[in-house]
Parts: sequence; structure tokens; C-alpha cells
Amino acid sequence: MAINLRTPQAETRDQRLGTITQWDGPASQLAKDSAFTFGCGRDCGPGGKRLCELNSPYSQASMCAEQIAVTNATIIKDTVVIQHSPIGCASSQSFTSRYSRDLAARRGWKPEDPKSICTNLGEQDMVFGGVDRLAETIRDAYERHHPRVIFVATSCATGIIGDDVDGTARQLEDELGIPIVALHCEGFKSRHWSSGWDVIEHGILRRLVPNRTHEKNPDLLNVIHLGGPDVFTPLVGPLGLKVNLIMGGNSLERLADLSTAAATVTMCFVLSYLATGLEQEYGVPEIRAPLPYGQDATDNWLRDIARVTQREHLVEAVIASERARIAPELERLRGLLKGKKGFVAAGAAFAHGLIADLRELGVTVDDAYSFHHDPSTDSGDPEQDSLGHLIQTTGEIENFTVSPDQHFQTHAALKRSNPDFVICRHSGTTATLAGRLGIPVLPIFYSNDGLGYEGLLTIGRAILRVLPRRRFYEDVAAHSAFPYQPWWLEQTNPYALDTAEAAE
Amino acid sequence: MSRKPKQIAIYGKGGIGKSTTTSNISAALVEAGYKVMQFGCDPKADSTTTLRGGEYIPSVLDLLAEKRRVDAREAVFKGFGGIYCVEAGGPAPGVGCAGRGIITAVELLKQQRIFEDLDLDYVIYDVLGDVVCGGFAVPVREGIAEHVFTVSSADFMAIYAANNLFRGIEKFSSSGGALLGGIIANSINTDFQRDIIEDFAKRTSTPIVQYVPRSLTVTQAELSGKTTIEAAPQSEQADVYRALARHIAEHETSKVPTPLSQVELREWSASWAEHIVRMERADRERARAVA
Repeated sequence: MAINLRTPQAETRDQRLGTITQWDGPASQLAKDSAFTFGCGRDCGPGGKRLCELNSPYSQASMCAEQIAVTNATIIKDTVVIQHSPIGCASSQSFTSRYSRDLAARRGWKPEDPKSICTNLGEQDMVFGGVDRLAETIRDAYERHHPRVIFVATSCATGIIGDDVDGTARQLEDELGIPIVALHCEGFKSRHWSSGWDVIEHGILRRLVPNRTHEKNPDLLNVIHLGGPDVFTPLVGPLGLKVNLIMGGNSLERLADLSTAAATVTMCFVLSYLATGLEQEYGVPEIRAPLPYGQDATDNWLRDIARVTQREHLVEAVIASERARIAPELERLRGLLKGKKGFVAAGAAFAHGLIADLRELGVTVDDAYSFHHDPSTDSGDPEQDSLGHLIQTTGEIENFTVSPDQHFQTHAALKRSNPDFVICRHSGTTATLAGRLGIPVLPIFYSNDGLGYEGLLTIGRAILRVLPRRRFYEDVAAHSAFPYQPWWLEQTNPYALDTAEAAE
Repeated sequence: MSRKPKQIAIYGKGGIGKSTTTSNISAALVEAGYKVMQFGCDPKADSTTTLRGGEYIPSVLDLLAEKRRVDAREAVFKGFGGIYCVEAGGPAPGVGCAGRGIITAVELLKQQRIFEDLDLDYVIYDVLGDVVCGGFAVPVREGIAEHVFTVSSADFMAIYAANNLFRGIEKFSSSGGALLGGIIANSINTDFQRDIIEDFAKRTSTPIVQYVPRSLTVTQAELSGKTTIEAAPQSEQADVYRALARHIAEHETSKVPTPLSQVELREWSASWAEHIVRMERADRERARAVA
């Protein structure tokens, strides 16, 4: 099903991709059931069955799609984000502010506080409607900051009372003469926070990407990533490609260049909505080769980019030189990591990539934890089945848990795995938990660390830095207690509480 | 490339005959050869029953209650003459949020491109009359219906509801929302009723699209689970609905309404109350004089 840009609201990924958040079992089963249920991509032989989600009786707090959409809008330069919400929704903006400054430092930008305003809705606004207050706030934002674009993010509260945010945005757009982009990110709409990526990418694609296909730049490669330093230029620069790094802090100019590029790559298929949309709307080809985690995958990824951008004559030399460059260090790392057991916790395609890296470094990975699972992608191309690819190229993961960062379930999964170290994203929950269980942990905030040839070395070295800290973590564990009953503390099945009713 | 259907919303106070009128318009349009969808936006989910022989259909929100992923096509049923029938549905009385239900149901159909895929000429929304919250205003917002008609009798409460609707339309008109097509004057059988509704129409500069008399034919058809067009196609009443459908089909330009303020409405109804008293007194005196 094509992406529908006619409506201001992005369809949730639960609806589009069949995204699930609760599952446990061998990874091969998950890949097979996903393929069987959603279009039979890779490995869909006879004997398939419908993908059935588990049904945990309760949830601990994790994250909200609204935060993803709002944070990623806020860090776009020369814009103001208005959260049309009660003030509590704005609590995550202190994180955004820190994130924005950190990004600026890493990307060599002038550190500036991002601009964001909350309409601070109260009881009266819920009863009488909040659009007048929104209109006033949009005018204030314009007067105070003179932004080039204003985003208006909705909230659960405004979604329920049915405030006409689109109409107000349109009206103020006529009045002020700048784009006012509504982001429909009510937290209740999707069961997973990653839907927030779709919301911001939907807003960008609908409103901030002009059709400049006639100005085609054959050397420009759109790279859509989660955020962090530019590790892509060293990878594709030797092919004569210039990187247009998108998400994780954009300028409006970069967004305006999207339709001129020769191709788009996505560094995590969780974010591929924008890439698929660019291909659909402007014919910018989306590179769908498996993500560049590990040497073989990186070789093939570069070859696919070279094929699409017509520079195949350059690519083999780049691959050979990169492989030769990292070989001695890779050998050394493999020697030091041999026999170690790792546990990976991250979001879907990114988790699959990290597992590939660890296995190439000689680390054993029998257990992994994915914060959600997308059984299909927007392109519908089985090439993007990153879990299927991982299993096909590196083998089974016996215990593969899908859980939206649920502390109590991570506890059981880590008990079951008993790894030498944990590598994780969304460090708030998993990293502290692992530490309190006495396991050395490598939290990754900027998810580009494991990419490409150099990524193998970066990850390998980082693991070697945390492994010697076991004593420290054991001390932490000795002083830690968990708020669980003794029977749960002994559990090794993250879904032991499951009602055993397989819900859809 | 699919064309854009003409989208019409019909509002009116509960019990005023809105679903009856809407279903007869749909039936007349389909009889005239158009492809029509009728979309019931009322938690009672009974807008389309007379298009389906008195049978209720599962609503969009019934499907959503059962499973997380909804194929909106499963909520589309064919009725009389091939009319596509959809009911938004909603929560049980006293729980949840019916307004949010309308938002969710309309959005699901839009996102899944149901209107485009069915290649429709008309989508007619039959909406619960009192626009009590943002959800019930969804059909009149930008990008959904272009024309709104209100069904009203000469009953003062129905006129109050119509005036409230005008206020809602006026509010959204500046942000690209639907505009007012006119009043469908329902159950108008006496000159006196006609005077009241005409006076209201004049005060609010709103055209009256059609007068629909109260008729036993309609009741009989309803009781047999049918529209008048289906049950009594040769009747005079069926021709009234055909004329109404023709007016709606030919209708091109709607306007921003000029609703009465609360005070004006009160004064207006008070003046009619005095007028009624005067008329009744005159009638009584005439009767006495005759005696």
C-alpha cells in the first residue's frame, strides 16, 4: 500500500506495517511468521503461520510517539515547535535541549537553544476548545522568534476533544506567510513510539520538500539516520558522493534538497517512511540493500549505491581498500573478543545490525531484545527484511524478545541470557538495569557507531573498554534491589505473565 | 485517476427525520444513475438501515473494537441500488468518547483511500445534529464535505439546533471548512409552519432547498425497513425526495451562514410566541363570534 500524503495524519505503523510490540521465541520463527503474514518475502516456504502477538497483562512506562515527533521537529533549525498540549507533554523538551546542543557540538554548529512553546492547555481549554489559544501562540512564536517554519504538534488531549489544528494552521499560514506544519502525534494512536518517526517524516514530506526534480544533482545522496555524527561521508565520499544528512538535526535547506538527490539510503529501516515516500513522490530511488553492518553487508550496500548512482567502476577499489585498512585491527579485536557472549537491546532493524556486527567480531549472541518489530516495510520489498537477512547470513538467535523497553521483562531476559556484556540503545532503562544486575554495559546513544567497516572497529573497541569494568558493576549489583516478588526475580521467561491467549 | 466525489454533510436535531431524508436522497441519487456512499456519523449506527431492508451493519468502530488493524473495506456494505453503506458507530451510551469515534472512523476511511477507490460521485454524511464537540464537526472541516444541509422542522428546538450548526460552520469557514447549502424543511404541512421556517431562513440569509411534507407513506416505508423511493416509488412523496436529490445534485455554491446570536434567537422566538398567542386569541374570538 502506497504512502498516503493526501491526509495530514500519517497512518500508524501498526496499521501500515502490522507492527507488534510483544513477542518471544526463536528469531527464525518471528521472521517466518512475519513473512507469511505480510506478503511472503524471504524464507516463506510451506508450513507458515500467522504472526501472533503476545499479550502482557500490564506495561511499565516507556516512551511516547509524541516525544519522537516533537524532538525531531524541534532540532530542525530556524523553526519553532508548538506543543498543543497540557504542560506535562513538554517535559521531554529538557532532553531535546540537551540533545540539540550535543548534536551541535558534534556536527560543528553553533550551539543554540532550540525554540519550543507549549500552549499549556487547562481545564477551560478542554471544555471550550483550545484553537484560539493555539492561534495566539502561533502568532507569539512568529513575533518572538521569526522562524521560517512553525510545527504544531498535537497531543492526546487535543486529539480527543477534536481541536481543528489543521484548519487553524492553514488560517495562520495565510496570515503569517510561512509554512505551519501540523504533526498529528497523539500518543494513544499507536502502540509504539517509533510511529513518531512516521509523523515527522510525513510532515516533512508533505510540506517541506519542494519538487525540484528538474535540478537533479547526480552526486547527492540523501542519508536518513537517527542522529549523530556524520560517519557516512568517509564511506561514500570516495565514490564521489556528497551526503545530505537528514533527521537528527536538519537545516531547511537540506530538506529542500531531498528531491534533487540521486538516491536515498536509510540507516535504519524503522525510518524508511521518508525514503519510500521520496521514491513514490519524486522518483528518487530508495536503496533497499540490507543495512551496512558487517563487511559483506557493507560491500553489497556500497555496490547497490554505486549501481543506482552509476559509479560501479569506482566501488570495487573502495571496498578492497577499506577491507585491507581494517583487517589487522579487526583481527586483533576478534582475538580479544573470542568466546565472549553479548546481549543486544535496540529497536528493530538497528538491533539486527548490531547483532551482525557482534557476530562478525566473533562474539556469541544467543539472546536479543528488540523494542518493537515491523513485519514489513513501506516499500514492501523483501530486501528490507533485516531480520530475515540477519538469520540467513549469520544464523539463528535462540531467544529473541520483542518488548517496548519493559524493565521487568528485560530483567527476565537478562537472567536467561547471563551475558558477558550488554549493548543497548535507549540507555535509560536497559543500561541501568544491566548495571544493577552486575553486567558490563555499553549504552549507545548515537546509533551510527556500528555502521560500515569502521563501525566494526568502533563497536569492538568500545566493548573492550567496558568488559574490564565487571568488578565495578558487581559492586553496583551488590547494592541494588529490584521491586519484584522473589518468584519474578527467578523468572527467565520475559512473558511468563502472559495470559497465553494469543491476541492478534 | 479517480475523480473527487462531491461530499455533502446533512445535519439536524435527533429525531427530526435526518436519516430518513438522507437515505431517500441517496436512493434517489442512485436511481438517477450516480455512485453513492452514505456514511452514518452517529453512535447509534442506524443511518443506513432503510437502505438495507431494516438490517443493521457492523460499524467501523465495531471492527476497531475487535482488532488493532482494520481493513476499512470490511465496513463498507452494499445497500439499495448499490449504495455503499458505512456506519461510523461508537461507544455504548455513557462511556468513552463518541466524538473521537467519528474522528477515528472518518480518518481510517480517508487514509485507506476508500472514497477514491470506489470511484464515487457522492459521499453523504448523515451526522448527529447537535454539534456538541470537535468530533461531530469533523465532516464540515477542510478536506471532507464541501456542502452542508440541515434538516429542520418548524419546531423551535430543531431551529435552535440548526442555528448552532450555522455557528459551527461559520467558525470553520475561515479555515477552509464546508459551507452552508441550505435548509431542508421537513414535516412542513401548514402555512403557519412554513411561515416560521421561512422567517428563520430569511433572518439567517439561508435558502430553503426543499419542503418535505409529513407523510404516512414515509412511516409505512420505514416500518417495512425501506426508503420511500424503494417502497413507494410511484408516490407523490417519492417525487418530493427526487426533487430534493436533484436540487442537491445541481447545487454548486454554498455560503458562509449568518447565524443569530443567542440574544437574537431568544428575541426571535419570543416574537413568534407572542404572534402565536395573538393568533390563537383571534381564532378563539372568531369562534365565539360565530357562535
